[in-house]
Amino acid sequence: MTADDRSREASLSGPGDRPRGAWRRLVSPAALFAEAGALLVAGFLLAFWYAPTDTSTMGFSQKIFYFHAPIAESALVAYAVAFVAGVLYLRRQDERYDRLGAAAVRLGLLFSVMVMGSGMIWGKAAWGVWWAWEPRLTTFLIACVLYAAYFVLRWSTDEESRRATYSAVFAIIAFVDVPITFFATRFLPAGLHPAVITGSGSGMAAPMLFTFLVCMAGMTLLLVALLRLELAHAALKAEVEELKELLDREPEPEMAAAAVASSHETERGIP
Amino acid sequence: MGRRQFLAMLRKDLLIELRTREMLLSMFLFAVLALVVFHYAFDPKGGSDLTPLAGGILWVVFLFAALLGLNRSFAREKDEGCLDGLLLCPADRIVVFLAKAAANFIFLAAIQILVVPVLALFFVHGGIASHSGPLALVVFLADVGFAVLGTLLATMAAGTHARDLLLPVAFLPLVAPLLIAATSATTDLVSGGAGIGDLAGRLVFLAAYDAVFLVAAYGTYDYLLSE
Repeated sequence: MTADDRSREASLSGPGDRPRGAWRRLVSPAALFAEAGALLVAGFLLAFWYAPTDTSTMGFSQKIFYFHAPIAESALVAYAVAFVAGVLYLRRQDERYDRLGAAAVRLGLLFSVMVMGSGMIWGKAAWGVWWAWEPRLTTFLIACVLYAAYFVLRWSTDEESRRATYSAVFAIIAFVDVPITFFATRFLPAGLHPAVITGSGSGMAAPMLFTFLVCMAGMTLLLVALLRLELAHAALKAEVEELKELLDREPEPEMAAAAVASSHETERGIP
Repeated sequence: MGRRQFLAMLRKDLLIELRTREMLLSMFLFAVLALVVFHYAFDPKGGSDLTPLAGGILWVVFLFAALLGLNRSFAREKDEGCLDGLLLCPADRIVVFLAKAAANFIFLAAIQILVVPVLALFFVHGGIASHSGPLALVVFLADVGFAVLGTLLATMAAGTHARDLLLPVAFLPLVAPLLIAATSATTDLVSGGAGIGDLAGRLVFLAAYDAVFLVAAYGTYDYLLSE
């Protein structure tokens, strides 16, 4: 990798994200994927061969918790990132925050679908039904529909700056809405979901807690790695669009080539 | 500050509606028709007591009636080029928002006042006269939330090419918490005979929801109308 490539990668990796030295090697997308993979494999092994099987009510089906809960947490982290990106976009009007927000919502949506999938599997094993109108499951279902609407909004808005503004506002409102939804679902008849981590402590034996934390770290790192990949992809796409536009505007070949060269300079020059 | 502009814009919306009556009339007709549809959907044999379902029926019907009205509220401004006029007038954007939301609130409340008695007539055995106070409070708080979020989303929807497709898709999941609280409160009132004390938690929740989204609208509306 040449110095040129590296500076290019740094400029593509997203706002406020400029690691240095040894750090840079640890948080490069490839390294992040490797770290996340290692932690998740370790978490998998720990979950099945180290953490004791739950003796109270769940039995073996409790194992899925080590993946189900970290995925849920990662989804919420992704939505929080979209919220922060939305606020920053409205303040600074920098399109990189728009790309960050869209990437975060896309991943949040993906993780939410996985939460519901793993939740339904667990529900079938623990409660005997695939679906129960239970507060957390219901909240994730509504969050899924809500954040899917984010993309309907994006696709139906043509002008770029307007699309970015609408998306930012929607990401902010949606993130405010999700905890309220969770609170509101408590007005529904009582749920079945185990409250694992309550105000008075985690209620887990130490080996279980350790396994859970390893899985949690792995899943969060996986989210960060995917987010960086999405951002790099979005930045490249934006660059291609820009170049296409330049080419369309300047039909003469020499002028178009000059425009491409100068656009490369400005891309790298972003502070 | 901005009070006169607010009143002028509100007056404009109410006047248009009073002269045309197209929005209120179609919302009301839709609501009554939907109530009739619910009768046939839930009670094919006839004669059984649908009182426990009345709360749910009311809010489903009202939700869709509200969508009809909200869609119109900004489409009208856009089509006639009125929005440009509003943006040119020397008032804060938030005044435009508040006037629009107030007009929408008045339309929604007017529909509720007409629809709730019809609902009681059709579905509630024993009537609702004895609960009318608490029920009015629930309806008031929920309507504020509907108007605030609906106006915010209708503004966005009017700026896209999906318009009347986008509003329901974005609005329904966002008002889900409001709908859950209002439905459960109405059901307890109408069929369970709950007092205002039993509803305190849900009333506070509805008020908090309204407050949160008013603040969110206050913080973001400037950007939505900034072209």
